[in-house]
Amino acid sequence: MNDNRARTMLVVGAAALMLPLVADDYVLVLALRALMYSLIVMSFSLLAGELGLVSLLQSTFAGVAGYGLAILSTSYGWSALPAAAASLLLTLATAAVFGLVSLKTSGVGFMMLTIALGQMVWALAFQWIDLTRGMDGIVSIPAPEFAGLNLRDPRAMYFVTAAIVVVCFASAHVLMESRFGLLIRGIRDNAPRMRALGHPILRARLAAFLIASFYAAVGGILLTWETRVITPVALDLSRAVWVLTAAVIGGTTLLGGSVVGVVIMVTLEAVLSQYTDRHILVFGLILAFAILLLPNGVSAFVSDLWAKRRGRSRETSAVKLAR
Amino acid sequence: MLRKSWIWAASLIAIAPAASGQPKAQEELRVGVIANLSGVFASSGTTMVNGVRMAVDEAGGKAGAMPIKLFIVDDEGNPELAITRLKAMDTRDKVDVIVGPVSGNIGMAAVDWAKDSGVPVVVAYSAPEDITMRKAVHNVVRAGWSGAQPMFAFGEYVAKKGMKKIVMVGQDYVFPHNQIGGFLKTFCRNGGEEVIKIWHPLNTTDFSSMLAVLPASDAIMYNGAGTDAVAFAKQLEEFGARRGRPLLGGSNFFAVGSLPAMGKTAIGGLSALQYSDALDTPQFKAFRDSYVKKYNEPPMATSEHGYVAMKMVINAVEKTGGKDRAKLIEALRKTDMPNAPRGPVKLDDYGNPIQNIYINEVKSVDGKLLNVAIAKIENVSQFGPYDAKTYLADPPDSRDFPPGKCSDPYYKKK
Repeated sequence: MNDNRARTMLVVGAAALMLPLVADDYVLVLALRALMYSLIVMSFSLLAGELGLVSLLQSTFAGVAGYGLAILSTSYGWSALPAAAASLLLTLATAAVFGLVSLKTSGVGFMMLTIALGQMVWALAFQWIDLTRGMDGIVSIPAPEFAGLNLRDPRAMYFVTAAIVVVCFASAHVLMESRFGLLIRGIRDNAPRMRALGHPILRARLAAFLIASFYAAVGGILLTWETRVITPVALDLSRAVWVLTAAVIGGTTLLGGSVVGVVIMVTLEAVLSQYTDRHILVFGLILAFAILLLPNGVSAFVSDLWAKRRGRSRETSAVKLAR
Repeated sequence: MLRKSWIWAASLIAIAPAASGQPKAQEELRVGVIANLSGVFASSGTTMVNGVRMAVDEAGGKAGAMPIKLFIVDDEGNPELAITRLKAMDTRDKVDVIVGPVSGNIGMAAVDWAKDSGVPVVVAYSAPEDITMRKAVHNVVRAGWSGAQPMFAFGEYVAKKGMKKIVMVGQDYVFPHNQIGGFLKTFCRNGGEEVIKIWHPLNTTDFSSMLAVLPASDAIMYNGAGTDAVAFAKQLEEFGARRGRPLLGGSNFFAVGSLPAMGKTAIGGLSALQYSDALDTPQFKAFRDSYVKKYNEPPMATSEHGYVAMKMVINAVEKTGGKDRAKLIEALRKTDMPNAPRGPVKLDDYGNPIQNIYINEVKSVDGKLLNVAIAKIENVSQFGPYDAKTYLADPPDSRDFPPGKCSDPYYKKK
């Protein structure tokens, strides 16, 4: 299974890195969006799948990072990279506080707490007008330019993004295969036993929460550079639900599932909005069916299918005939 | 196994261009239309698109010899999504020009995008002044207005009507700041004394605490729109806080859609806009009648603005005889439309219309509440009575600027 996961990631990573060589600008625009969101969804899946905590705060952390970047690089005139680094730290600090507040709970209580905290951040962005410009949001956020790479060029932006995303996924994968990953899954499956074995439950949870939030923040920073605008919509509950939906569709059990989920969501949005103004309705219906029919997500469905087919090909032809 | 995964990777790469391949038509004018078509503000977007469609139909579906193809896209009121969709219209649909949007924040986001992409944009209704001021871009022009523009005319009108002291309650964001800014600059220089500004966060529906202590004044102004506005109008009457004072509005306060909910409170209410629901000109009547015939409802300001924006595009294409981008932008910037439904529309050097402003009064016409023009101020620019340099020397309007007291030294200088 682990072998399989690594291979899937290799395929997706290779395909992603080579996309700009063959795809036109439009596909690149969508692919960029998908790559950036996949980090936020991966952040969610990491907590939901590996730690068993459904956090609706992950898109909020992306938004906090985006706002930090936007404020520092417009109001305070910081250049792009220091602003990005500072907003990563800001996000981690926020995540640490929120984590300490919420991680002692679990299940529905934890989820409700994350919704409440997320709404607080949203209200702050909406009403702290001197800092965030409220509903109007912050525009004209400068994109970084370094070493002759102008990130306004979609191809340059794509390579940088794809490289960062691949590194993020690879590091998350390595981490989940490590002893830390085992500890996390152990806590998910049986927290009391892990505690009895002497493991620091809260500290491990907090560490996982911070790591996940870091990935979301990276996604948020890339997204803000790409669109060069941030408004309270980025912190809206509907954004958190979008992330949740992508994770559920893709399957939270595999890190790669987040890529599958995001690609499906972004493609659906793009295709449906071309044909009908009622695309959100159609979108909802498709999602409802997907969730009903594929409870473990598309990626699990496909890998099950794959596993079955491989199993079947090892069966003797006699068995096949008998079928 | 590893080999198999490479086959997967290869086939993914092979599929990508096939999926994205779009036929490129050469001889048609491809117009991207972006507006908010879902959610709470959907009606402003759909009426704008109605106006755009009407202009296309009137032109027989053609600009010059080229058939017009519309690509209509919903921004969902989300600036970030709007940028993705604008990029899609540029790269996938290969649009020659963009018409829209309606919402202020999306307009501002679109300007940054337009600067990078170079695609000509005709902003339809979106009103942040910086779109055609501090952030003005050569390829972006406006068919509509800036927030302060109608209020320059309104401030002078109100002051000259003898209303010297005004209590303003407003939504705390850039657009209402800009509106009262324009108002104050002329109000204070024409005999006004003070505007007491009370700001509230967006989505406030309970005004009881505010209304209980509403200061004395010659008039009350609500500087905002939407559900907050309707709630304010209703509670103003319910709490008996109005005490016979005239009710003034920011430009979108007495929107036709909100009037039925406000009911009698709204009657006699005054506001200013470059549009009116009832103008006594042949151009307006022709526009209104054919709009009603086509859509079975009266046009809104947004409908007319969509119509004018699309007309600007068609005229520019006819003038240049093609769709060469640079020429199209030049032609758009030279827009001079003496016969628009709202009256003459001529762009200034920054790409914003110089146009009539109407002082509108809410009246009941055949049982329907409408904004009827009772006064007309001609040739108002986005800089009001000032030239661009003088106006731009001031800081942008904010919650506290310009000051509410007309005795402030700021108003002493010219």
